[in-house]
Amino acid sequence: MFGRSRSWVGGQGKTKNIHSLDHLKYVYNVLAKNTTVTDHNRNLLVETIRSITEILIWGDQNDSSVFDFFLEKNMFAFFLNILRQKSGRYVCVQLLQTLNILFENISHETSLYYLLSNNHVNSIIVHKFDFSDEEIMAYYISFLKTLSLKLNNHTVHFFYNEHTNDFALYTEAIKFFNHPESMVRIAVRTITLNVYKVDNQHMLHYIRDKTAVPYFSNLVWFIGSHVIELDKCVQTDEEHKNRGKLSDLVAEHLDHLHYLNDILIINCEFLNDVLTDHLLNRLFLPLYVYSLVSPEISEERKINPQVSLYLLSQVFLIIHYQPLVNALANVILNGDLSVFTPQADIVSAHKNMASAGSVRRFTKPPESLERSLELSRHRGRKRTQKRPNYKNLGEEDDDERAGGGGGIGGGGGLDEGWDDDGRGGEREGGREREKGKGTEGGGGGSSKGSRASGETAEEIEMVVMEKCKVSELTEQNITDEEKTAAATRTHTQRSRPFLDMVYSALDCANDDYHALFVLCLLYAVSHSKGINRDLLERLQLPVPEQERTSYSLVLVERLIRVMSQAAQPDGKVRLATLELSCLLLKQSVLSGNQCIIKDVHLACLEGAREESLHLLRRFYKGEEIFLDMFEDEYRSMTSKPLNVEYLMMDASILLPPTGTPLTGIDFVKRLPCGDVEKTRRAIRLFFMLRSLSLSLQGEPETQLPLTRPEDLIKTDDVLDLNNSDLIACMVVSKDGCQAQRFLAVDVYQMSLVEPETKRLGWGVVKFAGLLQDMQVSGVEDDSRALNIVIHKPSSNPHAKPLPILQANFIFADHIRCIIAKQRLAKGRIQARRMKMQRIAGEQSLKAQFATDVLGFGQAAHASPSGLPFRFYEQSRRPPNDPTANRSVFASVDKVPGFAVAHCVSQHSPSPLSSPSPPSSGSGSTGRCDSVTASTISAQSPTDDGTFLEHTPPSLSSGEGEGGGGEVTLVSSTPSTPVLAPSLTPASQPTISLLTDNNADALSVESLTLLPPADSPHLHPCASHIHMAHSLQRPDASIAEEEEEEKEDEQEKTGEQIDEELQKEESSTMDETETDATVKEDNTTAESLTPTEETPEEAEGGDGQLPAAELQETVTATNSVAKTEDAETLTETPDSPELD
Amino acid sequence: MAYAYLFKYIIIGDTGVGKSCLLLQFTDKRFQPVHDLTIGVEFGARMITIDGKQIKLQIWDTAGQESFRSITRSYYRGAAGALLVYDITRRDTFNHLTTWLEDARQHSNSNMVIMLIGNKSDLESRREVKKEEGEAFAREHGLIFMETSAKTASNVEEAFINTAKEIYEKIQEGVFDINNEANGIKIGPQHPTTNSTLPGSQGGQQAGGGCC
Repeated sequence: MFGRSRSWVGGQGKTKNIHSLDHLKYVYNVLAKNTTVTDHNRNLLVETIRSITEILIWGDQNDSSVFDFFLEKNMFAFFLNILRQKSGRYVCVQLLQTLNILFENISHETSLYYLLSNNHVNSIIVHKFDFSDEEIMAYYISFLKTLSLKLNNHTVHFFYNEHTNDFALYTEAIKFFNHPESMVRIAVRTITLNVYKVDNQHMLHYIRDKTAVPYFSNLVWFIGSHVIELDKCVQTDEEHKNRGKLSDLVAEHLDHLHYLNDILIINCEFLNDVLTDHLLNRLFLPLYVYSLVSPEISEERKINPQVSLYLLSQVFLIIHYQPLVNALANVILNGDLSVFTPQADIVSAHKNMASAGSVRRFTKPPESLERSLELSRHRGRKRTQKRPNYKNLGEEDDDERAGGGGGIGGGGGLDEGWDDDGRGGEREGGREREKGKGTEGGGGGSSKGSRASGETAEEIEMVVMEKCKVSELTEQNITDEEKTAAATRTHTQRSRPFLDMVYSALDCANDDYHALFVLCLLYAVSHSKGINRDLLERLQLPVPEQERTSYSLVLVERLIRVMSQAAQPDGKVRLATLELSCLLLKQSVLSGNQCIIKDVHLACLEGAREESLHLLRRFYKGEEIFLDMFEDEYRSMTSKPLNVEYLMMDASILLPPTGTPLTGIDFVKRLPCGDVEKTRRAIRLFFMLRSLSLSLQGEPETQLPLTRPEDLIKTDDVLDLNNSDLIACMVVSKDGCQAQRFLAVDVYQMSLVEPETKRLGWGVVKFAGLLQDMQVSGVEDDSRALNIVIHKPSSNPHAKPLPILQANFIFADHIRCIIAKQRLAKGRIQARRMKMQRIAGEQSLKAQFATDVLGFGQAAHASPSGLPFRFYEQSRRPPNDPTANRSVFASVDKVPGFAVAHCVSQHSPSPLSSPSPPSSGSGSTGRCDSVTASTISAQSPTDDGTFLEHTPPSLSSGEGEGGGGEVTLVSSTPSTPVLAPSLTPASQPTISLLTDNNADALSVESLTLLPPADSPHLHPCASHIHMAHSLQRPDASIAEEEEEEKEDEQEKTGEQIDEELQKEESSTMDETETDATVKEDNTTAESLTPTEETPEEAEGGDGQLPAAELQETVTATNSVAKTEDAETLTETPDSPELD
Repeated sequence: MAYAYLFKYIIIGDTGVGKSCLLLQFTDKRFQPVHDLTIGVEFGARMITIDGKQIKLQIWDTAGQESFRSITRSYYRGAAGALLVYDITRRDTFNHLTTWLEDARQHSNSNMVIMLIGNKSDLESRREVKKEEGEAFAREHGLIFMETSAKTASNVEEAFINTAKEIYEKIQEGVFDINNEANGIKIGPQHPTTNSTLPGSQGGQQAGGGCC
């Protein structure tokens, strides 16, 4: 082939060097002799054209005289001549490819100018090729693309003719914008972007005046049609069968958005104006936004609300162009349906753009792009004069608006918004902004006030006040004209159907299908760089990294509800939804380093966290795998935080949430399937709510992950090994390396040490690995040897475990070998148990947490949970304490009792009593646990939250009030929080204390006291729908916010709430639990008020008696947990009354 | 032109690694590599035969369009195969492979076949990246690997054809959804085009493709 092709030219024998001017001359002669294409000379011509390219490029790189000759002989004309003979695809393709190569490889500017002069290239561009041939199409569009890559401020003049208003390269290219072949479409986009990028005012004016409207309106229609197809795909989906197609359509939509964004960020202002206008008024508003609220049967409704929410999130995630996204956000968050009424005409009529004289509607452009381009060319230049210029257009607008104040209806609000923003906001909608400030100011002030006072009643009054203030403020600040305008539209303007829809879609009672999208949308809006902060602040939406004093009660309330719904045993909330809620909540209430969350909300949140604990406890089993899952989930959650942008690229979430992993949908984006996944979900839920709760309280995470690298023995650590059990061995690694080492087994790790040379009895760690990840096996032919493999913990469950140690250990004799094996095996079991214990501790920690919540950190420190860890830490590092030292490597089975004690509790039959915090390590904790659980179940369906919040105040009363309270505490519980916790377990007798009997007895006791084990979940829904006391107030405040405009009614609501609260308070006099909730809010915000505490305290004191009795029955160590136990128990008798 | 399948390829990699030269070398061999002439092209098509079936390859070079996110994104998505090219005489082009690969994996459909190509193997004296390194990278990321030279045409043919074979196998295994053109695979016209175009198509192989 190679040879043959050469022969076409070389065979003539005229010249040896094909890269020369001479050869070009020869080739020219061939061309000149074959001006007509025939079947005969076709091949010759093709080869001639091809070799011309070659010579030209060679000339460009080596000899410029070649170009001179090319121009002189006007060889381009031959090309055109050949093209025009309809010479068939063979020649066409070769010509196009030749041109491609030519323009691609020309490096000298002058050579390029040569080629472009004479307008030949433009003649080729407009030549009517046979575009039905996919190959010609591909070569043609590549040719245009290659040309567009050569565009700059100089070369553009060769393509764009000011006088004839021709820009063939651009206009011919955009005709293929909706070509069925994706590569062609991509090329068209590339060409347009390359054109817009050239900073030539004349050319850009031409683009805008002559082509922008037809192109953009068609483009927008094209995008919209894809969206409708996408929606159809979602609607007609059965059993997720459409997922393949759907993901293509979603990717297509993303492509569109990225393309639009690429245009917008070139930042060609007046092109952007046109584009923004079309996008808003022809696509986003009428198709996406309107679909949020339009009734299902309505013809107007084009797509499903969930699809529209999903697509809008994508819009906000990708496009950040301020005038566009701000206007869009303004309608969604602030606008009403009047946006779609014909009133809009008044403003848009003189725009002479897409929206001219029509309502915002998603409609097909009246004519095809090709046709309109044609028309606009013929309409010619006289009309350009008449056409309003986009610069003077704005002025007109403003005049008009100033004159016709009242005439501008609600719809005007929107136009105003984006027009002004587009023009640098010189006339930012006065009323809107002022009112916004008013609201903001009022809101801020009031919430500050309420926080300071801490009086519930007052707080609600303040909210009422706020409303009045706002209206007053607005009244005062606006001009007469604006007042009348405002008067005419108060009604409409204040209703926010879109925002209402968005908020109401956050409800996850049945599923979180819509909620996930809403969260994404809110996330995207709040993170958008293009959205005016004022707008977000006015609505108190979460703005990341912004100082603020108030937050949207509605939103936060709903977010918390999502969380509490997620924590229900049959909750239909996916992990992604939950994670996003947490993210948004944090954003809402964290201002800098401060958390401005109201106590009520924090309490509700803690309630949800508490429920997540119950849920987790249901799945907590003594099984080995639980530990691995627990740690694995933690790893994968922290290593892969949610990426909203990626989440919104996934089409699978567009289909109704499903549970089966067979769909291939990622675990966090679907519901759990089967017990293992349910457990995983419960674990994650727990982690998320825990970390949320900690970060809202500014507390560092001290318990998780269970293994923190900084707590482990590392290679090269020097340890005091006096009194530790060490076994000498020879370590033969897989690759044959041998080393003499001493094997030591620590609580969580095994290590290989060699003697420290300087200090007797100390050792340098040469290797340390986690016992839990270790496998020990004997070696067949050597009774003195063990084979040990330790795997690296990996966050990816599918990855092959990577061994960090793989070696044979050879001991002195087989006795040592057996000892070592036992020690390792036991160590492994116990290390795992220790951790399980700590997880259990984690789960029974609620009381401690509650104290944390309320800021009584002291108590928390003394709490049992910290124990195993602290103990471990203390004992491990050599220099601290000689006594601790001694026990470091003492043989494992003699290590302090709690470790062993746990294995017993683990085996205890009652699931509820099993997990016990290691500190108290004995049956008592088991009991504590079960009793706690039971208490909750015995309580009214109302809430677990109350219980949670309840405990601490009583504790707090002790500490806060000093004397009296403390006495109670001390008297009831022998061991005070002051006692160093680490001492407790150490002094404790080991297994003997905790017998199986004991544990059994306890669980039985708890069972007799209470309904079945899973009773806390008996009323999962009820608990948050009408949480008797704690949730009532937030509910009320939501109602308030939603009914902003109805001030009269509102005041009434306020009064009602007042009344209710009073009732509540009076009732609390006899009901300690509920009382606590309310009081907690009041008291913690300011310092404690003793008067209110008294009754409760008394109760608490009394209540501790039975607890003390119970304690006596069980021999166990005491700790703060006890006090909390006691508190818990006091409730039990009360609970029936609650019902 | 009659073909059983059409595969769309893209070529990615740093600028100056010889992507467009590879493309031209593969699609039009009549441009003979000469020492004083570097020449490339951004688009090319060529017919090959695999398993007795005519397969058309369409290759799109993405050079010069990296500044537009929408464009690269779309390119990746529309391709069934990708040649990821680095220059064995420039270590930095090898170091950037990870970024390219991440991009490709993120935007492309999961079945896209990626071939790693160490280009300019003729410049042995200036080699900075060992062949073994390329092999190791490919093994680690599950790519096919080959060293080529657009200048001497060494392995160029194989690079493109092996990629096509891989895609073809995936089709046979049913991994690719061939009815979905968004994957970069197109089924040829059911009925071969009429005789009148056949003479042209024979020649077309030379012009557009230069296939033997």
